[in-house]
Amino acid sequence: MAEVDYSGKHSLRTRLRARYRAWLKRRLPPARTIVLEQKRLFIFPSRPGFLFIGTLLIMLLTAINYQNNLAYGLTFWLAMLFVVAIHFTHGNLMQLTLTAVGAESVYPGQRAEFRIRLSCSSKRSGHYSIRLTWPDSEALVDVPAGEAIEVSLFQTVGGRGWFEPPRLTVESGYPLGLLRCWSFAELAVKALVWPKPIPAPAPTHVRGGDDAVGFSDASGVEDLAGFRDYRVGDSLRHVDWRGLARGQQTLQTRQYSAPAREDHWLDWDAFPDAPVELRLSWLCWLALQYDARGDQYGLRLPDEEIPLATGDRHRERVLRALALYGVESAPV
Amino acid sequence: MKAVDQIPRRALLWLILCQFVVVLPHLGRVPVWVLAVYGLAALWRLQIHRQRWPIPGRWLRLMLGLCGGGAILASYRTLIGLEPMVALLLVANGLKLLETLRDKDGYVLVSLAFFICVTEFLFSQELPIVLSSVVCTVLLVTCMITLNQRPGADFSKQEPVLALKMLGLAIPLMVVIFILFPRIGPLWSVPSKNGQGTTGMSDFLRPGEVSKLGRSAAVAFRVQFEQSIPPKPALYWRGMVLSAFDDGAWRTLSWRDHPADERQFQRPVTYGDPLRYRVIMEPTMQRWLYALPFAESPSAGIIEAWDNRLTVLTPVESQLGYEVNSWLDAAGQTELSPWRRSLELAFPSDLNPRARAWITQQARAVDSPQALVQRVLRHFREQPFYYTLEPPPISEDDFVDVFLFESRRGFCEHYAYAFVALMRMAGIPARIIGGYQGGEINPVNNTVVVRQFDAHAWAEVWFENEGWVRIDPTGAVSPARVEFGLEAALAGEEGFLADSPLSAYRFKGINVVNWLRLRYDAMAFEWQSFIVGFNSDKQLDLLKDWFGEIRVSWFVAVLLGSGALVLIPLTLWINYTRRVSNRLPVEQDFAALCLQLEKYGVVREHGESPYGLLERANSQIPNDHLLAEIQISVRKMYELESGGN
Repeated sequence: MAEVDYSGKHSLRTRLRARYRAWLKRRLPPARTIVLEQKRLFIFPSRPGFLFIGTLLIMLLTAINYQNNLAYGLTFWLAMLFVVAIHFTHGNLMQLTLTAVGAESVYPGQRAEFRIRLSCSSKRSGHYSIRLTWPDSEALVDVPAGEAIEVSLFQTVGGRGWFEPPRLTVESGYPLGLLRCWSFAELAVKALVWPKPIPAPAPTHVRGGDDAVGFSDASGVEDLAGFRDYRVGDSLRHVDWRGLARGQQTLQTRQYSAPAREDHWLDWDAFPDAPVELRLSWLCWLALQYDARGDQYGLRLPDEEIPLATGDRHRERVLRALALYGVESAPV
Repeated sequence: MKAVDQIPRRALLWLILCQFVVVLPHLGRVPVWVLAVYGLAALWRLQIHRQRWPIPGRWLRLMLGLCGGGAILASYRTLIGLEPMVALLLVANGLKLLETLRDKDGYVLVSLAFFICVTEFLFSQELPIVLSSVVCTVLLVTCMITLNQRPGADFSKQEPVLALKMLGLAIPLMVVIFILFPRIGPLWSVPSKNGQGTTGMSDFLRPGEVSKLGRSAAVAFRVQFEQSIPPKPALYWRGMVLSAFDDGAWRTLSWRDHPADERQFQRPVTYGDPLRYRVIMEPTMQRWLYALPFAESPSAGIIEAWDNRLTVLTPVESQLGYEVNSWLDAAGQTELSPWRRSLELAFPSDLNPRARAWITQQARAVDSPQALVQRVLRHFREQPFYYTLEPPPISEDDFVDVFLFESRRGFCEHYAYAFVALMRMAGIPARIIGGYQGGEINPVNNTVVVRQFDAHAWAEVWFENEGWVRIDPTGAVSPARVEFGLEAALAGEEGFLADSPLSAYRFKGINVVNWLRLRYDAMAFEWQSFIVGFNSDKQLDLLKDWFGEIRVSWFVAVLLGSGALVLIPLTLWINYTRRVSNRLPVEQDFAALCLQLEKYGVVREHGESPYGLLERANSQIPNDHLLAEIQISVRKMYELESGGN
């Protein structure tokens, strides 16, 4: 996670916060699967817990002032219930296993879906009322004994590249809610953030030779030629969803007449004067345009070249290359 | 408000149930309309939940609160004192339900309910109250659990069971702290109970007062004897001494009525060992205690008053236990000071002319006060006097005249009144004693249970050299009253227990019921004497008994040791149920099935895929059931792998 330091100077507060994070990271290192063990769990009375303690004090004062043994008895019983509750609340989170299942790729500023699996390895008792919290979303779930459930959490992503979600807070007050037991899970999961598509101008520079078309006038009308059965790899944009909705038995792909299908090269060098991010955004937009039309396209980056192809898988590959251009960290 | 924060339906229903259970034991004491407040609040809250009725606004809630307070004020005429305060708390608790919308409001309600449980103990510490409080606590803990559940979970018996489990685990530690926690005195003075709950006798006697008590089977006090119980006719429990007569009523003398040198108590000469017993008295809101004559108490805080009775400094507001030593045959106060003599002889000379003439005539015929007493008692016995709880009312000032020569019907206080008045007219110092006579002997634990209908009034007459001697004129009229109790004396009369239609005492003719009743009474007594009597003295005795001497280090060791004794196994148990397993349940199942396959000779080879194993098993294993299980397990294994990436 990036340190935000607006002042530029290291105030005591930011330094302390950094220290705390470093300590937390050491104590709770990121991993794909995290088991909430004893050393990861923190526990403290909750607000209802403090209310309860206050009530107990008033009850104790009543017992003392009226010299009433039954009042003493009830007060001590409830006080000891609180002590027992510490163990139960702690036990409720203990050994809960969190696994990062995966994350959706998105454009900047969108909310990415992260799928997290919670599993209970014990067959005796489950984990109840588990609250998972991120700044943008939270979930409240039960994990029954011996089962695993999957939870989707959403988080608004930042700029292009890999997005690492913030620390996940896992907490529960179950069974009595008088105590709050929590842990932080730094799940090793990343979401791919594509460049923001921005409509591109006509290329200012076209590399010599006949193999590069750059931005052509192929944006003309698309002539529908007919349908064929859907095959894996066909662009989902060309699937005849309306036909399916009409009750058609099989999935059909729309076929466009040949003249609309052209070959394009998305070339890094096509826009020599534009800044890096803008160039990537333009290339992204172009890739989406070609993909929508079903054209063949390829990508040339300074350090990578993706040959001409079509289809969803190809588009993913191209967008991924654009997203990771100049980003050092390796994918998960 | 986020939907997650709203009280789930299940928690709401539990909360409403708790509300009613909490208010139930208080119902005898608070006005009936409090229950209506609870009913309406519950209905309204349910309608809010179903989105039929609106949530009451702030002003409406304020108005409701003020109305509740006003109604309490109107019912009790005051807000000071324990009863109105508890009633106010109950009303507030009922109305609070209306604004209990979120989880955290639910906790406020639960906390209030726990506190209301404690206020109930200030009125009674008897077994049924203990039972109802335990039920209440379990329900409230269940409430807390349901408040923490994911919304939409189903009703199940799991929550009450969990509540019981947690509360059960808390009991051993509670007992240790209960015994070790130092019992210090009150930190500040607290609101006390008002006179409303006054039961038993009042400190003055006007004809017609005691008869009300004959209608009640409520327990007045219980007595446990160390040795054998004296015969019933000897059980005269003295409570108050009515020496002064003004305005047609007898009353006790207060400390202020005495000149300074008369306030001292003169201890009579006693011989031999006393009769030792322990009394546990129900609250009376009065300051006098009951004991057999002549009584001394070794318990702290009990005063022996000038007229040989036991008192305490503050009214008895909750159950009180005290030890008494009695010498039944001790002669009291053989010397009578002139001041006291004139006091015990005072009776208006202008009233009751017929009685005065009659007693003067009788006195001339005998030669000693003792003989005069016998003559008057014989008159009661031989003339047509009747014992009844429902005598014709006598309102004239010349009560003695009317009673002696006209109505001749009455009960103990009428006879005591008439007898003492006659004695005083004849110049013999006499006074009325109010208290209880007899009681029911419970052989199970050697106790005597004295009930309100055992209330009695008799006389004490002072003779030269003998001191005060007890004379029971009622015994002359109705020997059965003293010998067998009020019930026998009133055979066939309606008034007995008229106010206690369901008292278990009514059914004592049925053997099984009687057996159960005596057993229950014995148990209740043990409970009372433990819970009421556990004060700092008892605590120190107990601790000295166990540890020899009292050292702080011992306390700490016992506290920590007992804590560890409960909490360490608990932690180990939780760790055990959560023991680390690297494999998911599906994998564990598969491993278990592989072990079963090995019995048939199919051993999974290193690196063999689950599917490969299934293929081999298919051809080699005759057990169809096992095969089906393996198929399911293998499918789950593949689902796990494909879902995991």
